[in-house]
Amino acid sequence: MKKYITVLAVAVALMACNKKETTNTTTDVVENQKEQNQKMVSLNGAVTETLAALGATDQIVGVDVTSTYPEDLKSKTTDLGHVRSITAESILSLKPTVVFATSKDINPTLNEQLKKAGVELVVIDQEYSVDGTKKLITEVANQLNKQDYQPLIHNIDNQLKAVKPFEKKPKVLFIYARGAGNLMVAGKETPLHNMIELAGAENAAATLTDFKPLTPEALLTNNPDVILMFDSGLQSLGGAEGLLKVEGIAATNAAKNNKIITMDGQLLSGFGPRLGEAVVELNTKLNK
Amino acid sequence: MMSKIAVYKYGFLGLLVIAIISALYLGAYDFSDSVPGILSTYFQTQEHSSDSYVLIELRIPRILMAIFTGAGLAICGTSLQGLFKNPLASPDLIGITSGAVLFAAVTIVLGSAFMHHLPPFFRYALLSIMAFIGSLLTMIFVYRMATTNGKTNILILLLSGVAITALTGAVTGFLTYLSTEEELRNLTFWSLGSLAGANWWKVCIVGIFVTIGSLILLKKGKTLNALMLGEKEAAHLGFDIEKNKRQIIVIVAFMVGSIVAFNGTIAFIGLVIPYILRFIFKSNYNILLPLSMILGAVVLLIADTISRIIVSPAELPIGILTALMGAPVFISILINYKRKM
Repeated sequence: MKKYITVLAVAVALMACNKKETTNTTTDVVENQKEQNQKMVSLNGAVTETLAALGATDQIVGVDVTSTYPEDLKSKTTDLGHVRSITAESILSLKPTVVFATSKDINPTLNEQLKKAGVELVVIDQEYSVDGTKKLITEVANQLNKQDYQPLIHNIDNQLKAVKPFEKKPKVLFIYARGAGNLMVAGKETPLHNMIELAGAENAAATLTDFKPLTPEALLTNNPDVILMFDSGLQSLGGAEGLLKVEGIAATNAAKNNKIITMDGQLLSGFGPRLGEAVVELNTKLNK
Repeated sequence: MMSKIAVYKYGFLGLLVIAIISALYLGAYDFSDSVPGILSTYFQTQEHSSDSYVLIELRIPRILMAIFTGAGLAICGTSLQGLFKNPLASPDLIGITSGAVLFAAVTIVLGSAFMHHLPPFFRYALLSIMAFIGSLLTMIFVYRMATTNGKTNILILLLSGVAITALTGAVTGFLTYLSTEEELRNLTFWSLGSLAGANWWKVCIVGIFVTIGSLILLKKGKTLNALMLGEKEAAHLGFDIEKNKRQIIVIVAFMVGSIVAFNGTIAFIGLVIPYILRFIFKSNYNILLPLSMILGAVVLLIADTISRIIVSPAELPIGILTALMGAPVFISILINYKRKM
C-alpha cells in the first residue's frame, strides 16, 4: 500500500514536470465592440477614479480597498480587499477582460498568473506628480480608446492656478496612523511629500525617506507648524484629543497653535483626476 | 473482517479522495464547465481558458502542494517524536522550521540580484537547498544541546527551539527593513504560512523531496520501535543506532527545508497528527509512519480549502487554521493524558 502511494506521488510529480509550457493567444476583437463588453478590475484608487471620470463606471466589476471614490462604486462592484493579499483566483472569478494595476502595487506572482490566464493586464507606472497624473489619465484613456480625456487634464491645470503661495512656507508633518501604537511619518519619495510641496508648503520630515516610525525626538527636531492626517487616521486615534496624548505631539508648534488638519485619504494621496481639487483643498486648509 | 489498521488506512484514503474532489470544485471562481470537461477541452486545444487556468495552474498544484506538505510535515513530526522519544517533539516546536525560514529569507534578500536570471527550477531548488541547510544546522544544534548520553532533555529541546525561533524572528524582521523584496515584505507569509504561491515547479521540487524522504523514513519503523526500549537495548538488538539517527536528522531537515522554503511555517501538523494516531495505535511506528502521512495530507488539504473559501474573495493564512484545528485537539489530548497518569 505504502509503495502504491509513493509510486503514484512520484508519477504525478514527474508528469507535472513534463507539462508543456503553454502560450496564450488572445483573440482579436473588433475595437468598438470591445468597449461595450469590457469587464474591468481596477487595483488602484487613482485608476478607478480615472475610469469613472472617463465614463467607464458601468464596466468596472471589481476594485481594491483604496478605490473609495466615486462613493457609490463599492455598492455596485466586488471589493477584493487589500491589493497585497488579492489572489489570482478571486480576480478571475469576476471573469474580467482587463485588469488595471500600478507597478508598485502588484506583486510579481500575481502579475505572472494573470498574464498566463489570458487576462489583459495593464500595469501603469504611477508617478506622484502633476505630470505623472496626466500620464496616468492619458494611458488609461488610450486603453479605453477614449479621445475626450483632455478636459480632465485641463481641469487639473486650471484648479492648480488657485493655489495661494505663502509668505513663509509652513512646515507640515504628515502622520499616518492606524491606532496609537502604529504611527508613521511621511518622508521624501512618498505621495504625501509631493502633495505638501504642491500646496506650497514644506515637508517637516524631508530629512527622512519613505514612511518611518514616529519618534518623539524626531518630532521635536523637525518641529512642525502643521500636522496633516487622513480623516480615518485621526479617527483611529480618537480625534485630536487622542493625537495630543501621543508622546511629543503636545509640545509641537502645530499642537500649540491648534493646527491639526485632516483630509480624505484617497483624495490627499491618490494622485488621480482630483489632484487639482486636492492640492487646492490642502492649500486652503493650510492658509486658514 | 478487516484489521483495525486497514479500516483506518482506507478510511483516511477515502477522506483524502473526498477532500481532493471538494478542493477541486470549491473556491472563489465558479467553473462554467465540469472538471473533466475543462481538462479534455484543454488537452485538445492546448490553450488556456480562464476555467482551465484556474483549474490546472492554480487549484491542482495547490491541492498537490497541500498533500505533499501535510504528509511531509506529519511524517517528520512522527520521526522526530520517535527519535527524541518524546511526544512533544515536532519540527515547529523545536525550531527546525525557523532555521529553514531564516536561511530562505536570507537567500531571497541576498540573492535578489541574481535570482531573477536563473530558470525557475534552479531558483526554487537553490531556495530549497538553502532552507535545507538552515534546518539541518538547527537540527544538529538542537540535538547537540538537548541530548547527553543518548538521553534527550525535553525542556532543553523546547527551549532551544524557542531561542532559534526568536533569533529567526529578529533576523527576518530586520531583513524586511533592509529589502523591498516582495516576498519578504509580507512577514505573515513566513510566520503563518500559505500555499497560495504553489505552482508546478514548486510542487515538483517539494514532491521530489517529500517522496524520497518519506521512502527512507517509512523504513525506520522498526528502528524507532526498538529505540523506545533505550539506545543500548536497541543496539543489542542489532540496530545501528547512530547511523539511523543521522539519517533521520538529515532526511527531516531535507523535507522540512523544502516545505518551508515555499510555504512558510505551517504549525501543529507535525505535532498533532502523530499524537492523534498514537492515541489509537499506541506507539507502534510501523503503523504511525504511513498513517501519519495520509492523515497529514487530509488535514492540511481540508484546512487549505477552508482557508480559500471562508473569507472569499480574500484568503486566510493557513497557519491560523492549522493552529485553530490543532490547538484544541492538542489540549483535549493533554487532558486525556493527564487523566491516565
